[in-house]
Amino acid sequence: MKINAGNLKKGDFVFYQNDIWQVQKAEFYAPGKGAALMKTKIWNVKKGKNIDVTFKSNEEVDTVEVESRLMVFLYKDNENLYFMDEKTFNQYSLPVKSVSGLDKYLKEGEKLYVYIFNDVPLSLRPPLSVRLKVVKSEQAVKGDTISSAKKSVTLETGAVIMAPLFIKEGDIVIINPETGEYMGREGK
Amino acid sequence: MKIITKNKNLENHINYIFILSLIEDFLKKRGYQKIDLPVLSPVLIPESYLEVFETEFKYFDIKEKLYLTPSPELFLKRLLVQGVGNCYYLGKSFRNSDPPSSLHAFEFTMLEFYKLGVSYMDIADEVLEMLREINKKLNDQMLKLKNNNQKLKHFKIKEKNLKINFDRWEKISVVQAFEKYAGIYEMELFNHQLFFEKAKKKGYKVDKFSYEDIWSQIYAQEIEPNLGKKGYPTLIYDYPKEFAALAKLNSDGKTAQRFEFYINGIELGDCYTELIDWREQEDRFIKEDKERKRIGKINHPVDKEFIEALKWGLPPCSGIAIGIERLAMVFLGLESIDQLKVIDIVL
Repeated sequence: MKINAGNLKKGDFVFYQNDIWQVQKAEFYAPGKGAALMKTKIWNVKKGKNIDVTFKSNEEVDTVEVESRLMVFLYKDNENLYFMDEKTFNQYSLPVKSVSGLDKYLKEGEKLYVYIFNDVPLSLRPPLSVRLKVVKSEQAVKGDTISSAKKSVTLETGAVIMAPLFIKEGDIVIINPETGEYMGREGK
Repeated sequence: MKIITKNKNLENHINYIFILSLIEDFLKKRGYQKIDLPVLSPVLIPESYLEVFETEFKYFDIKEKLYLTPSPELFLKRLLVQGVGNCYYLGKSFRNSDPPSSLHAFEFTMLEFYKLGVSYMDIADEVLEMLREINKKLNDQMLKLKNNNQKLKHFKIKEKNLKINFDRWEKISVVQAFEKYAGIYEMELFNHQLFFEKAKKKGYKVDKFSYEDIWSQIYAQEIEPNLGKKGYPTLIYDYPKEFAALAKLNSDGKTAQRFEFYINGIELGDCYTELIDWREQEDRFIKEDKERKRIGKINHPVDKEFIEALKWGLPPCSGIAIGIERLAMVFLGLESIDQLKVIDIVL
């Protein structure tokens, strides 16, 4: 579908220079000389990289109807992540490099939204948070009671993150998978 | 739209108010007369790239359209003709159809000042002095608070901004900038046909768009991000005559005596050697008014008396408009102008 660039908003998918991109930021910009513009940051869903593109606000851009479909994460190998659509039992794969490091926080069997265009998976919609078990955690040093102090812990997926000192092995922690930041601990 | 109270911005706001006082101190010391002006006017200067706010005065059967001024220029130039001398306005201006963003607000604070008998480059010297003084006074204030062992509660400048050196401008002409950052040569820049071809080759959509449209797209995409990034504020000067607005043309006939200045990729001010030739100004008004009608902008009455004032004789002068929220945002190391506001109107 063609729309004016002035109507682009965060989350839209656009077809630009023979690739599909997701809009990450779109800001109207009227420089007071010449046309009003739309300054965007767009993310290449296949290559996982950002670029800044300025459109004329009344320039037509091709948006792409991308579907986000709930799938089960099956497993990953060195190159790909494998998913299954639970309704059709069809399997899909996504290159590891297209998920911008999200795979470090993904557990087999987890349900996730995969962006699909023409039945071809493009990328993964990053979940707002993931819950993972701590499998290794060093003992906090005695006397070290500063509340802001952190230590590194290893999660069940193998990822290592910084967590508060009170986190123990066996705890379930809540992580922002886009940044790897600790957000909280699941209540028992 | 709704009103948002942002108490968390109070510190930033207090710093912003302090910057306003520094600006006023500077201008007063330099002999500029402060002028207070209306923000509602029955006529405006036609500018095809600005949309305006329209309202109405009512008294029984009398109804009169009024417009919020997008700039104080129409008032200040009348006063210059009357002999007011060097003067400034520091207050609100209004631009419609600019959705609020990190650099835009439809209602914003503008400093506009005029100096008689000088060209745009003299204004550049004055502005640099002003920036230097704001920077110095902000730092002094911070040191004073530190030395008095007071909490820096109402004062903070982020480190990165102290790195900008206001000893000089990084000066670059528009021609040099297009060559350096966009690979567009002088001949291609001024010849519309060659410019369209070059832009198309670079991947820009050119069909159905004007020279001005494509020029500003390339300017925003390829030039602006490089300006004010080398440790000095950047002054970019001599814009193609298509962007002359109310500026005097250079003797080359292709460019106008206009500069803009940037810090960290952000445009902060726009200066002209003022056009004093009323015939040329009238021609530009007719063109701009026609363009406004063509593209369906609000059809406000044109300020014809402005031309009459020019006929009377605007003394040779130069003037600059500076977006004060942006300036404060840069000095305070903020990401967005709305971080300065304690009361904000949002969509």
